[in-house]
Amino acid sequence: MTTSPPSSPGARFIDPKVLARVGSLELAARFVVEGFINGLHKAPYLGISIDFAEHRGYMPGDDIRRVDWRLFARTDRFYVKQFEADTNTNFSVLFDVSKSMNFGSRGITKLDYGRFLAACLSYLSTKQRDRVGIITFDSDIVERVPPSAKHFEVSLHTLDRMTASRPGALGPPLYKATEFFKRRSILAVISDFYEEPEAVLDAVKPLRFAGNDVILFHILDPAEVDFPYDDSSSFQDLETGRKVPVVPDKLRDQYREIVQEHIDAVSQLCSQNRIDYAFMNTRVPLDHALFKYLAMRHKLTKVR
Amino acid sequence: MAFLTPLFLAAIAALGVPVLLHMIQRQRTEVIEFPSLMFVKRIPFHSLRRQRIRHWLLLLLRCAALLLLIAAFARPFFQSTTLAAVAGGAREVVVLLDRSYSMAYGDRWDRARAAARGVVRDLSPADQATVILFDSGAVAGRRSTTDQASLLAAIDGSAIGAGTTRFGPPLQLAQGILEDSDQPLLEVVLISDFQQVGVDSAANVRFPAGTVVTPVQVASEEATPNISVVGASVQRDMFASRERATVTARLANRGNETVEGLRVALELNAYELESLPVTIEANSAATVTFAPFTVEDTAMPVSVRASVDALPHDDVFHFTVLPGDVVSVLVIGGPGTPSTPVAPLDPEPSDTSEPSAQSPETDIPLPDTMPPATPAAETVAVTRPMTPSDTTDTSLYLRRALGVGTSPLFSPIVRPVGEVTLDDIAVATVIVLNDVGLPSGAIGEAITRFVEDGGGLWVALGEDVRWPGDKVDLLPGTMDIPADRDGRGGVLGFVDYSHPIFEVFGSPRSGDLTTPRFFRHRPLALHPESAVLARFDNGDPAMAERTVGAGRVLVWTTTIDSFWNDFALKSIYLPFVHKVIEYLAEYRSPTPYLTAGQVLDLAQYPAAAGLDLTGGNLVVRDPSDDRVDVRLGTEETEAAFVDLAEQGFYELRDTEAAQGELVMVAVNVDLAESNLSSADPQELVGLVTGRAAGDRSVATEREIRPEELERRQTLWWYLLIGALGFLATETVMSNRLSRTEIDPDA
Repeated sequence: MTTSPPSSPGARFIDPKVLARVGSLELAARFVVEGFINGLHKAPYLGISIDFAEHRGYMPGDDIRRVDWRLFARTDRFYVKQFEADTNTNFSVLFDVSKSMNFGSRGITKLDYGRFLAACLSYLSTKQRDRVGIITFDSDIVERVPPSAKHFEVSLHTLDRMTASRPGALGPPLYKATEFFKRRSILAVISDFYEEPEAVLDAVKPLRFAGNDVILFHILDPAEVDFPYDDSSSFQDLETGRKVPVVPDKLRDQYREIVQEHIDAVSQLCSQNRIDYAFMNTRVPLDHALFKYLAMRHKLTKVR
Repeated sequence: MAFLTPLFLAAIAALGVPVLLHMIQRQRTEVIEFPSLMFVKRIPFHSLRRQRIRHWLLLLLRCAALLLLIAAFARPFFQSTTLAAVAGGAREVVVLLDRSYSMAYGDRWDRARAAARGVVRDLSPADQATVILFDSGAVAGRRSTTDQASLLAAIDGSAIGAGTTRFGPPLQLAQGILEDSDQPLLEVVLISDFQQVGVDSAANVRFPAGTVVTPVQVASEEATPNISVVGASVQRDMFASRERATVTARLANRGNETVEGLRVALELNAYELESLPVTIEANSAATVTFAPFTVEDTAMPVSVRASVDALPHDDVFHFTVLPGDVVSVLVIGGPGTPSTPVAPLDPEPSDTSEPSAQSPETDIPLPDTMPPATPAAETVAVTRPMTPSDTTDTSLYLRRALGVGTSPLFSPIVRPVGEVTLDDIAVATVIVLNDVGLPSGAIGEAITRFVEDGGGLWVALGEDVRWPGDKVDLLPGTMDIPADRDGRGGVLGFVDYSHPIFEVFGSPRSGDLTTPRFFRHRPLALHPESAVLARFDNGDPAMAERTVGAGRVLVWTTTIDSFWNDFALKSIYLPFVHKVIEYLAEYRSPTPYLTAGQVLDLAQYPAAAGLDLTGGNLVVRDPSDDRVDVRLGTEETEAAFVDLAEQGFYELRDTEAAQGELVMVAVNVDLAESNLSSADPQELVGLVTGRAAGDRSVATEREIRPEELERRQTLWWYLLIGALGFLATETVMSNRLSRTEIDPDA
């Protein structure tokens, strides 16, 4: 399988299958992210900025520690410094470990792909001194690691031992997770989103409305997108166990259309609700996907 | 298109089997796990469930093979209308041409042949036709041919026969041809004079439905005057020790006008002996008697010929006159029996002592010499048996009875028992021992040999019969002393009517054998091998028979004359005596003529008894002097048959025989045909079709039975071959496909 999409000359991307052979998640994440950072070192966009944004006049009640005393010395007036963002924000991964994630047609499952993705994102956040945490869920919250500057290792450990064994649902666990985030956080929801687009949005909207910056990582296997089966077979739903005889030749085109419509619908709904959406095909190298996503996010940031 | 066994078509449901197989074979048994069937389930169910069929050609081959197989079992056939469309409405025409001799009347034959030619010329190239010539039989030329030349040749080569009209055989032959025909339109053209006599034979004929029958009547509506010689009889007599024959011919006039001065000639060996003018009233008959002629030693061909009229075949009557139709009877009576032979048909009694009896069939007065019944005889109730005296002629009634008769002519010789000579025995055919026993000495031995060599002996048991002890084997039993019957005497209680002697008396009003009264008889103790032909009412045998050597011996246990019974006074006496003598003489009446259309069985023909049927040297010539084949039997059966097709004299000769004996067989036409009255052709057509003649409205509605249609077409055979072909192709193709699938690189 080729690992070099022609759209990224000079970039060295790593086949997810190769990544899967790396035993340690941290090593794998570093492998991806550092190569990625090194490769993009000169690029002007490097993550979320914590730089100074503007001054404003002191208002009673403001923390006097934020008063710019140097400016007071020069102007004899109280100004408070405002920054673009907090540098030490919370970053949490909401990882769908429903049984459907345990599917992989090319040697790597969506769960593994998501595992690397979450590790990479966590590593990236840790590098920015953010607090990282993780919540795994299927139809309920399975495991929860609260965001903390010291929880990177725990998060990786959680990612490492999580298994997908039960049917999943988005709404109840995410609604429940909303309660855990008192501070505004960056929430990366990693799932295959096998629900109606409206239901997906209904599930993530509470997170967004609570002030969190929500990013949906929609991970699908190539087989789920292309439906490359030939022979008529009985297909079994991994989560419900239901079997259906299917003639792939007959419904392939229709299936592809439906899947694409689903992706488009979710993407559009996310856009309307100011939620970031990234579609990940496990065939595409992880660093390439990350690159694409961060590039897009940077553009959005600039627009914002 | 229809099917003989349409139920097999239900098997078309089996066509789903190959389709199912094609789909099932693509269904993998393994289950593919998929994250979610959420999107799959959105696709409509039918397309979800439908399996993909690959190898469409293979599927079509299999379905086609199955379909052909099912169709073959359903036995398809094309309906007649379809056939008609395919065949372009071709016809099967059968031309029936009457050639019975009545067609010779006037110009009927020419008109009939012209009509037949017209039918043949009107045939289209696709039409098939058969020409059937018929009289009493039917002969078809080339069947169902499209060759008009051969049909015309058959018509031109046809000639009038001597047979009578019978519509049955030709119509049955036509029915067979029509039933075997594949042509959609069936047509019969019947060309005849439609004589009434031939219609009855067609009762069992029924043409296939849709057959168009067109009668062509060649007889005109006008009156058909016709004179025919309907028969001739021969009276024989003896003149100057030679047998003479007098021929009397009967003629019939079937016209409505009196015919006067018709010349009728008697021909002997084709030479005219005598010609007489005859006048016959309208619709009546007349006879003409010719002068007697002397009968020769061989068979004489005699013809009676009237002047030729419109129908010449019935104007002549042929017959043969054979010599020696005489049965010589030697009557050996008691000592008082007159010894002179009695000439047959002698009008004058040769013995003045005989009563003046004109005929035995009339009431004959008792002889004067016979004592009348004595009322005083108290031991006898009413009448008593009489005892003949020495002067009584015991053979009176017998002689008189034998004096009557022409066919055969009886020649009795009456001898007293002491005057019989060996010459008398040598010329006799039958010997009657009338109230005498078997003579002793050489005469008795000669009579015994006579019987053993095939002669007939009739023994009438009377008072004086004494039988030598060494000759009792000649008799059917041992006689006892006379037994009297009381009261009004006995009657015959049992008669074997199946015996040739009594056969003629078996039917009603053919003579009552119970009327004679028998007052005395001699009981007979029968030998086991003897047969009893009649018994008295007390059970004693009245007549018994025994076969001795090649001859027959009959014993009548009472007298032949009226001494012990009154049988001789009854009208039944004459035929009884004749039958007894004929039976003992093994007499078979000669056949003066036969009828055209008959088959002559030479083994049963008396005149041909001298011919060697097994030698293969028999030559038969017909009246046209052509040689006729003789159908010979095997050596064991010794039979020979000759088909008598022509009118006239057939000659039979054994070329190897030293004497070259010639046998003449006279053949006449059946005179029923000379009755020219016509039947309504519509009647005949209605009989064989159930419809009016020439009804073409049903021509296209011909319905052949489905079984028959299917049998003729045998489409199932082609379907079966097609199915096998498809299956073979399918085998080759599926093998290749499966090899390709197993090894895709191949």
